[in-house]
Amino acid sequence: MTRLSFWEILKRSKMGPMLEEKDFDLLMFKKTQDLQKEYGIKYDPEKPVDIDGVQADRIYQAGVELFLDLGTYCTTTKRIIQVSAEELKSEIEACPAEINLGQGSDRVKMSHRDVEGNQDVIVIAGIQTAPFSDGEMMFKIYKGCAMGRSVDGIWGGILLKIEGQHDVIAGAPSEIYQYKKTAEILRRAVAAAGRPGMITINNAPTNPATIAMFDENLGLRRSDYMEVTGMSEMKVAYDDLNRTAFALAHGVTIHGTHSSVIGGFSATPEGAAIVSVAGSLQLIVVQKAETFRCGAVESRIKSRATRRNLWVASTAIQGISRNTRLIVDGSMGDHPGAGPGTKQYLYESAAGHVLSTVMGAHSTEGTRKFVVGNVCNFGTPLESDWMGEVCKGAVGMDREAASYLVRYLLAKYEAHLMNPPEGETFEKLFDQETLKPLPYYQNLYGEVKEELRSQGLNFII
Amino acid sequence: MEYTSLTVKEKALLDSLKDAIGAIDTEIAKVVAQKILDAKIDPRIALKYSFAEAAEIVGAKFDCGELFLPHLVMAGDLMEEVGAILEKDIPPNEIQKKKAIVIATVQGDMHSVGKNIVSTMLRSSGFIIHDMGVDVPSSAIIQKAKEVKAEMIALSSLLTTTMPYQKEVIDDLVSMKLRDQFKVMIGGGPVTRQYAESIGADGYGKDAIEALEEAKRLLL
Repeated sequence: MTRLSFWEILKRSKMGPMLEEKDFDLLMFKKTQDLQKEYGIKYDPEKPVDIDGVQADRIYQAGVELFLDLGTYCTTTKRIIQVSAEELKSEIEACPAEINLGQGSDRVKMSHRDVEGNQDVIVIAGIQTAPFSDGEMMFKIYKGCAMGRSVDGIWGGILLKIEGQHDVIAGAPSEIYQYKKTAEILRRAVAAAGRPGMITINNAPTNPATIAMFDENLGLRRSDYMEVTGMSEMKVAYDDLNRTAFALAHGVTIHGTHSSVIGGFSATPEGAAIVSVAGSLQLIVVQKAETFRCGAVESRIKSRATRRNLWVASTAIQGISRNTRLIVDGSMGDHPGAGPGTKQYLYESAAGHVLSTVMGAHSTEGTRKFVVGNVCNFGTPLESDWMGEVCKGAVGMDREAASYLVRYLLAKYEAHLMNPPEGETFEKLFDQETLKPLPYYQNLYGEVKEELRSQGLNFII
Repeated sequence: MEYTSLTVKEKALLDSLKDAIGAIDTEIAKVVAQKILDAKIDPRIALKYSFAEAAEIVGAKFDCGELFLPHLVMAGDLMEEVGAILEKDIPPNEIQKKKAIVIATVQGDMHSVGKNIVSTMLRSSGFIIHDMGVDVPSSAIIQKAKEVKAEMIALSSLLTTTMPYQKEVIDDLVSMKLRDQFKVMIGGGPVTRQYAESIGADGYGKDAIEALEEAKRLLL
């Protein structure tokens, strides 16, 4: 089996049927709603976890049908990129079921995971794409994140000022300069943590700045991955495909992300689950991803761990895990609504990461409060530790137990999602001399850990 | 002719139009619109009453999760289509000019979801929307606003490193001595009301519902 050439995809992006973007959006809505009825897909808020996989299989089949019927809309050419059922089948079979990331003793194997599987779960934590006040603070926080025993890699963020006074602006020369410098700090931090071969990831707003971060000595390496994003929903632009082009030429693993939007053009939770599958297929076929994040986002609520989102993402992930050998990323607890230093952050993070792991996914998208704005240092190494400990603790858990735990957690935080606790910055949560959590935060962490242990989460670290 | 001077039967027709738009039923809405014209009801009252009330209904249903983004698009299409039927009986010089808004995600930023929701919400509430898409340079946004004689520029930014472009648009408007011609409203994940005030924006919306209220406050 071979994968469809990227150049063939580009050719189709220039020769496929033309359509106005609005018409594509409405067509997707109609097809998705039709498929939802045809396959008998039904979201039941009382059952946020699909325990027997029946809905998951239907969602997978509906997602395949949607992808084949609708295709991917290229916003640059206003044309639809279509593939045949045979090409899709071949593409899925030719995708690797196992890859290696990182170097030396920090190298890890990331493989297809089964639902309720015992395969290792890879965790790339870190305070993803968040702003930091200065290089020293960034280094300290990254180093702390890299020292977490449950963490296999870390995401970087950005310093908002050059020389403490010049704004970093996307698309301007300052962006390339600063993202490259940030990647250097990230690499130095993992080395200082005693893990020089650790996976480091970052993603700048524009292509040139993202590409500039790749440097085998002091930057992102071929042994890391390059993230490519699909536009919500089921769209791609040449700007996205430029990242693929670079990654293919450079020889770095491509990791894709796409989110369906609950309340968006996929409309219902059922529709969003179908589009989550179809968007994942887009990532491997069109954007040549070898691993991909399958997920969704709410149009109104700023948290990934809403009841609906947990069902949407976990059922879509389960469908892919049950029906393919693809390497799936879930990261469902990556962006809690609550801020660091609060119990709610840990609850939301746990609900998402338990489900991701149990449904057969890795979690490689870092972790931070959903909206950090331009508040600097809005995260600590402890949330990274939590992400890793929860994911690794959930390996081997069955769906029944995961369902119980998730319902327990939802009862703790669900009523506060529209107005979550803001949380505190690193300076307020960690001792600046010892770089250890302040007693208040350490105790809160320990308390929640014991609470979840008593509810069935088997922490191994 | 005022709404209060209408007969019960005439008011019922306007309510039927409101309900049809609220239910996003284009065919019924078109039939009722024609009945309103046949009944010699001033179509301006229908536009003012039925459309405004229906927009409220659609917005509320979206807000509570009963309707989704595609429904807002369809409601916008419906209102344009039915509005055209009603307007054919209004002398051209008496047709109330709709307020035009240019909306874009700023340069360097490829995020479209939030901007699309705001754009669709504004359109379904009767504004003329010129959606320029994502990654749009400040100069192009200003040029478009001048070209279409917009009353407002709405700017979305989802990244801390693209927020400066929201300020750039405002600064450029000041430099070009055009600041008084356009209201500027901003929004996006990292954007706050304090930031909006600090850069001299006229309005801020933390979500689509608030953006709509802000647009109404500033333009109507």
